[in-house]
Amino acid sequence: MILDIRDLTFSFDGEPLLQQLSLTVDSGEIVCLLGPNGSGKTTLLDCALGLHRTFSGSISLCGKDVLTCSRPQLAANVAYVPQSHTPTFPYTVLEVVLMGRTAQAGLFGAPGNADRDICRAALRRVGIEAFADRPYTSLSGGELKLVLLARALAQQTPLIVLDEPTSSLDFKNELLFLETLADLVQHDNIGVLLATHALNHPFFFETQGLRTRAVMLSKGQPAQCGTPTALLTPQTLLRVYGVRAAVLETTYARGSAVKTIAVLGSEPKDVI
Amino acid sequence: MKQPAKTKQLRVATLIAALVLLPVLFLLLSLFFGRYPLPVRDVLSALVRPQTVPLTARVTVWRLRLPRALAAAFVGASLAVSGAAFQSVFRNPLVSSGILGVSNGAGFGACVAIVCFGGGVYTYLFSFVFALAAVVLSWFAGRISRVTTTITMILGGTIVGAFFSALVSIMKYIADPYSQLPGITFWFMGSFSSVGYSHLLAAVPMAVGMLMIFLSRWRLNVLSMGEREAAALGLDVRRCQFLVIGGASLCTAAAVCISGTIGWVGLVIPHIGRMLIGNNNQKLIPVSMSLGACFMMLMDLLSRTLTGAEIPIGILCALIGTPFFVYLLKKTKGGNWT
Repeated sequence: MILDIRDLTFSFDGEPLLQQLSLTVDSGEIVCLLGPNGSGKTTLLDCALGLHRTFSGSISLCGKDVLTCSRPQLAANVAYVPQSHTPTFPYTVLEVVLMGRTAQAGLFGAPGNADRDICRAALRRVGIEAFADRPYTSLSGGELKLVLLARALAQQTPLIVLDEPTSSLDFKNELLFLETLADLVQHDNIGVLLATHALNHPFFFETQGLRTRAVMLSKGQPAQCGTPTALLTPQTLLRVYGVRAAVLETTYARGSAVKTIAVLGSEPKDVI
Repeated sequence: MKQPAKTKQLRVATLIAALVLLPVLFLLLSLFFGRYPLPVRDVLSALVRPQTVPLTARVTVWRLRLPRALAAAFVGASLAVSGAAFQSVFRNPLVSSGILGVSNGAGFGACVAIVCFGGGVYTYLFSFVFALAAVVLSWFAGRISRVTTTITMILGGTIVGAFFSALVSIMKYIADPYSQLPGITFWFMGSFSSVGYSHLLAAVPMAVGMLMIFLSRWRLNVLSMGEREAAALGLDVRRCQFLVIGGASLCTAAAVCISGTIGWVGLVIPHIGRMLIGNNNQKLIPVSMSLGACFMMLMDLLSRTLTGAEIPIGILCALIGTPFFVYLLKKTKGGNWT
């Protein structure tokens, strides 16, 4: 077990946001964190990253309590891909990815040649090694996300936490990013905790043959956990989002089946 | 495959050599020019065999020009390097060394010294103390509900700067217009004209501050990703901020106290560095130090040789530096800022 969250309760300004939440992430497993805006997805990620330290319950990362870990220790076990990143200075792509080696660099140190090799390998892994010397401000949104993913890979952690990484990407780039992620889980045995608004993402990973679990957060209600097929039912979507939806299953000639969610409409107020 | 590594090593070695040699060259250059006419031969002899030249030559070179050039070098390097550091800490390329109210605080200290104690050594002492006080106040002013973020710190700096600027106005208003006000006005224009070896005591805090920033230079890159990301990347954000902001404040306070306010250098020298070698602070910090020192020595040299009366260096820096900056901006097409 890489990440083990037990009975996590987090209150924001006296109002409980997460209640008695338990969640685990194993290596080679992808856990999709779903839920409406303001349901506490980012808060949960922050707790797992050790950025929020005022929760009750326990979070252990690779067997160690996150509250007792130093920043470099945390960064050696969990990497983070943020939802949005606003570049300030036009660093080169390689310089940005090298920042993934902070935990290994020591108090006054800087990354060396070995770190540089690790970062080039990370760039190669996500398929953008050719961009190494370009200023990262000149990249498109999709390419920038891949740079941030490479930076997370350069941390060489067993767990990667991603906060809505595809929310600003176009159709093709979203797919590219998800495929890269699926490949990492499948071949590098990395554990992934992914917060996302796209309810089709868990189905996508399931179809790819990954060990996938979905967690549905909903404000004021206990979180639900299960396989995408078991959790993402029209009943759940109606209860959590107030949206009438159907889960469609398309079966192709070769036998593969793809599930997608079709939205029918928002819940009529007078019905319930 | 060995070849690229070799050429890269060579490039780094050349860069380091240039960074060290260039300021030394400007320092030597500063010794040969000045208001007092000294033939080149006399300056050389004064440097190599001081016993053989007349007293005036010895005094001019060793007691007037050398300490002055050294002070200019330290001040230029300090302002440039703290500007570069603040730009990364506050994630804002428009920030300069005076962002935390340092200049206005120092200015008020200088005013108090000139009006109440007749200037002299008190000017240096008071401006240094008030400059540091301004930083501490900015930090507290930016403290909202026990947390200080970089944004609230900038806000705090602006508030404290405005407060001290009002205090400076009061001091100007009550200052004697014939004996004290000119002193205040000239202080704000900046000058190295009265610098001697005793003033080089201020080089100690400048050196300490620059060392603090120099040692944290690669971490500045990480810090410029924002506090949240920097923490997730494994950086102890508070400690790093403390080192860098503390170092930059020491630098700026000590620089301002011996030279008066010299604006502009802390904003533009780092940008010239960015255009020349890129934004990686690992290189940018030493490059800013070197460029800042060279630039300030050159400006001081011009300020004391261009005209019969000395031109205040703050004015000269802006007058000569700005067109050069525009030229560089055009030449490097803005250094990837667009």
